[in-house]
Amino acid sequence: MTRNNDVDLLQGTLDLLVLKAVSLGPLHGYGVLLRIQQISGERLEIRQASLYPALYRLEHEGWIAGEWGESENKRRARFYKLTAAGRRRLDSEEKKWNEFVDLVGSILKVRREEI
Amino acid sequence: MRLRSRISTWWRAVSRAGELNRQISEELEFHIESYAEDLVRGGLPRDEAMRQARAELGSVAARKEDCRSAWGAGFFDELRGDLRFAIRMLAKSPGLAAIAISSLALGIGANTVIFTVAKHMLLDRLSVPHPEQLRMLWCTESDDVAVKGFWGYFESTPGGPDVTTSFSYPIYRQLRKQNHSLSDIFAVKPFGRMTATIDGRAEAVSTEMISGNYYAALGVRPTLGRAIGEADDGEPGSGPVIVISDRCWTNRFARSPAVIGKVVSINLTPMTIVGVNPPGFTGAYDAMMSPDIFLPFSMQPIAAPNGPQSLLTNPDEWWVMMMGRTRPGVSDPAAEAALNVAFDAAVRATVNVKKDAKMPRLMVRDGRRGQNQEAEMSKPVYVLQGLAAFVLLLACANLANLLLARASARQREMSVRLALGARRGRILRQMLTESLLLSLLGGAAGLVLAYVGRNAIPRMMTDPWGQLPFDGRIDWGIFAFAVAISVATGLLFGLAPAWQATRVHISSGLKDSAQTVTHRRRGIGGKTMVVVQVSLAMLLLVGAGLFVRTLLNLGYAHLGFNPDHLLLFDIEPPATRFPAPKDVALHRDLEQRLAAVPGVDAVTLSREPLIAGNISQSQFIPAGDAKSKPREAEFNVVGERFLSTMGIPMVEGRSFNAGDTETSRKVAVVNRKLAEEFYPNADPVGQTFTTDLKDTTPITIVGVCGDARYDRVKSDIRPTYYMPYRQQDDPNGGMQMTYEISTRMSAAAIVPSLRTAVASVDAGLPLLDIRTQQQQIDSTMRPERIIANLTAGFGVLALVLASIGMYGIMAYTVSRRTNEIGIRMALGARPRVVLGMVLLEASKLVAIGIVAGTCAALGMGRLIASMLYGLKSWDPATLALSGTLLIGVAMAASWIPARRAAGVDPMRALRHE
Repeated sequence: MTRNNDVDLLQGTLDLLVLKAVSLGPLHGYGVLLRIQQISGERLEIRQASLYPALYRLEHEGWIAGEWGESENKRRARFYKLTAAGRRRLDSEEKKWNEFVDLVGSILKVRREEI
Repeated sequence: MRLRSRISTWWRAVSRAGELNRQISEELEFHIESYAEDLVRGGLPRDEAMRQARAELGSVAARKEDCRSAWGAGFFDELRGDLRFAIRMLAKSPGLAAIAISSLALGIGANTVIFTVAKHMLLDRLSVPHPEQLRMLWCTESDDVAVKGFWGYFESTPGGPDVTTSFSYPIYRQLRKQNHSLSDIFAVKPFGRMTATIDGRAEAVSTEMISGNYYAALGVRPTLGRAIGEADDGEPGSGPVIVISDRCWTNRFARSPAVIGKVVSINLTPMTIVGVNPPGFTGAYDAMMSPDIFLPFSMQPIAAPNGPQSLLTNPDEWWVMMMGRTRPGVSDPAAEAALNVAFDAAVRATVNVKKDAKMPRLMVRDGRRGQNQEAEMSKPVYVLQGLAAFVLLLACANLANLLLARASARQREMSVRLALGARRGRILRQMLTESLLLSLLGGAAGLVLAYVGRNAIPRMMTDPWGQLPFDGRIDWGIFAFAVAISVATGLLFGLAPAWQATRVHISSGLKDSAQTVTHRRRGIGGKTMVVVQVSLAMLLLVGAGLFVRTLLNLGYAHLGFNPDHLLLFDIEPPATRFPAPKDVALHRDLEQRLAAVPGVDAVTLSREPLIAGNISQSQFIPAGDAKSKPREAEFNVVGERFLSTMGIPMVEGRSFNAGDTETSRKVAVVNRKLAEEFYPNADPVGQTFTTDLKDTTPITIVGVCGDARYDRVKSDIRPTYYMPYRQQDDPNGGMQMTYEISTRMSAAAIVPSLRTAVASVDAGLPLLDIRTQQQQIDSTMRPERIIANLTAGFGVLALVLASIGMYGIMAYTVSRRTNEIGIRMALGARPRVVLGMVLLEASKLVAIGIVAGTCAALGMGRLIASMLYGLKSWDPATLALSGTLLIGVAMAASWIPARRAAGVDPMRALRHE
C-alpha cells in the first residue's frame, strides 16, 4: 500500500529526509513517518519496512540519538533527536543535494541550439 | 565521533543482544499500535487495522535483523547462527564427530608433547641473560703433550685429534690474567657427588665448583641471600660457603627463608649456605639439570681433596672447564687467536714440553647451552617429530574425509540454499565454521592430553633412580603452536570439501539421482585421501616395526656376562676420611660384611659398572714392545670375585684369588680380544706389560677371560684388562666403587640389611643409586626404548585411523552406487559378484597406498639407518609384516560395506532417490 506513485525516492535521500524531519523536533518512529508525510504535503509516504533500518543506521553513525520517553497517549516510545554531528551532516547533505539539483537541472535545461 | 558512536552501538548490539532485541520489539510494537489506531480512527475495525498495520511493517523478525545489521552486528549474528547450526549438525552424528575429534586430539597432543621435549632439548639455553654471548673453551689433545691426569669430557673429531673441555687450574689462572679478548673468563666444574650432612642426616648432593667471578660473568643473581664472589675464592679454605639450587631448597629445606646462614657439612667440612639460585637456573654446564649446590674452587683442597697436592696448583691434572662472554667488537676468530697465544705460553710454562712438540690448540666455541652433551638424543627427537607430524597428517586426512563425505551427503541441502538465494560465500563461511569448530575442539582436547601427558616423555628419559631432567612445562609458545595447527587443519581440510559442495549445479543437485549414474568422477577426493591414509599408515607401521625390533635385538644381544640377579649400588667414601690406603681397607671390610648378609650369594665391586656408558682407558705396552707406537686398551679395577659373579667365563689361566694382595706381585686378567690383538702368536699368560698410569710397575697376566660388553650394548668388544682393586696404589684416596651383589631376593627386601651392614662399618656412607644390573642396562637403551614405545603407539593409531578412513570411504561409495548396484542385480548379478566388485575396488586403493607407503618407508629407512641395531633399514620381514597387517585390517574394514552392498534389495535400490 505504498502511494509514492508521485515521486520515486532516490537511494540515500531517505536518510536526508529523516534527518530533516527529526531536526524540526524530537520524534518517535511513527512520528517521523507522519511528519515526512505532512511536510511533503501528503505526496510522500515512506515504505514502512525501510524506516526503522534507516533510523538505526542514522543512530549507528551518531547523527541522531534515541531515548525512551512518553508519547502523547502516555505510552512508552523511543524518541529520536538530532545531535550536533547530525546537524552538521544535515547541512552538508542539504548543500550537496542543492548542488546536485542545480547541476542536473542546468543540464536538463539545455536546448539543442546551445551545444 | 562517528567512529566512537559506531563502536558503542556495535558493542551494545553484540554484548547486550537480548536487551537490544527487546528494545526493537517494543519500538515496533508501539509503531504498529499507533498506526492501527490511526486506521481505526479512519473507520477500519480494530482487527482489520491491526492486520493491516502488521502487514505493512512486514516481519518483525526481519526488521529486527535489519536494525541489528544497521548497527554492524550482522557478521556477529551470522557467526553465532553458524556456530549453533554447526553444533547441531555435530550432535546429529556424534560417532563420526567423536572419531574425528579424538583422532585430531591424539595427533595434536602427540605433536605438542614432542614439540615440548624438542624445545627443551634442542633449543633451551642456559637461563642467564644473553646466553648467545657465552663461549666455552675447548682444546685439541696432542700426543706430544702428555697430560698425566685427565678428568672430564672428550669427543673425537672424524679424522682429527680428540677435543676436550678440560684444562688445568694453573692454566686457567694464567689465561684469565692475560685475557683481553673475552669480557672475562670464569671456571666451572661439575664435581660429582659429595656427602652433605643436613641436620645430622647424611645424603648425596650433586655439586658444581665455580670461580669467584662466575655469578658476575653470567649475570645471575640469587633470589635469596647473596652470590659467591671473589672474596670467597681466594686462599684455599677462605670461602666455606655454598649456594643451593631452587629445587634443593624446595626438596630439602621446604622453601624456608631460614636456610640462609644455616651451616651444613659437606664432606665433613662445615659450610654456610649464603644464597638460593633462581628457579630455572641450571648452572653453566648443562641447560637442563641443575646441581644441588655450588661451591667455590678455593674449597677443593679442604672439602674434596684429590691426593696430597691441591688440584688448584697441580699443573698435571686437567679437569677445569673455562667459559667467558664475548667482548663487543672482538670477533670469535680474533679472540681465539689471541687466547691461543696466551694458552701456548701457559702450557709451556706449566707442562714439560719438548721444543718442537705439536702444541694443543685452543678453540672458542658457542656456550649458550653449556657443554651440550645431549647430542645423542637430538636425532631421535627429530625422527619423533617427523613421525608425529605424519600422525597429525593422518588425523587431518581423516577429518577431510569426514567433511567430504558429509558435504556430499548435504548436496541437496546446499542446492536448496543456493536456490533460495544464499550467496556462495555465505555457505562457504558456514561450512568453514563447521570444520573450524571440529578442529578447534580437537585442538583443545589435544592440549588437555598434552598437559596430562607432559611428563610422560621426560619420565621415559630418566633412570628410575634419578630425577626428571626437566619439567614438561607447557608454555605459551607451545600453546600457540597447538592452536595454529588446529586452525590450519580446519581451514585447509575444510576448504576443499566446502568448495566442492557449493560448486554443484542447482538443478542437478536437487535431483539426487542424477549423480549416481556418473559415479566415476565422484569421490575422487575421498579415494585420494584414503590412499594417502593407507600409505602413511604403512610408513608408520614400518617405522614402528623397525624400532621395536631394534629394541628387541638390543635386549637379546649377547652381553658376555650374566646380568640376572645382580643388585648394584655405589659407595663414594670422601678422601678426607679415607685417604690411601684406608679406602682400600674400607672396601675389603665392606666386602666381608656384605658377604655375611643373609640372602647375599656373592659380593664383588668394580670401579666402572658394566653397561653404564663409562670406561677407563690406558695405554697397554707389552713387555719388549717399547719401540712401536703405544696402543690403547680399556681396563676395569675390580674385586677378587668379579669375573665369577658377573658370569664372565675364564678361557685360560686363573682369575684373581686371595693371594693377590697389596704387597704381592701385580697381576691382571685380559679378555680374549686383547689376547688376539696384542698376543696373536704367543700365550699371554705369564707375560708382563706396563701402562701409562701413575704406577709403572710391570703387571703380569695370569689369565684370559671371555669377551664382555663394557660401556654399551651397542659397542664393539675392545681389548680389555682387569686389575684387582687391592693392588691399586692411588695416593689420592677416596676410591669410589660400584658394588655388585648377587642375590635372589628383591631389592626392597634385601636393601635394609645391606644398609645395616654398610653402616656397621661406617655410619656416614650412604648407598648411592641402588639399582639392578638389568635396570642399569635398560637405562642405556633409553633412546631406543622411547622411540620404540612412541612409534609403536603411532603405528597402532595409524592403523586405527586408516581402517576408519577405509570403512568410511567404502561405505560412502556403496551408498552412492546403490542405484547402480540395484540395476546390476536386477540384470542378474549374484550377490557374490557385487561383493567381489566392492572388495576389488577397496583392494585397488589399498594396493596403491601400500606401494606408495613402502617407497616412503624405504626412504625413511635410509635416514634412520644409524639408529637401528641388528637389522637393515629395508628389512624384508618388517616390510612384509606391516604390509600384511595393513591389508588385513583394510580388507576387514571394507567387508561390512561390501556385505551391505551385496545385501541390497534391487527393488528398493531402484526406487532410491
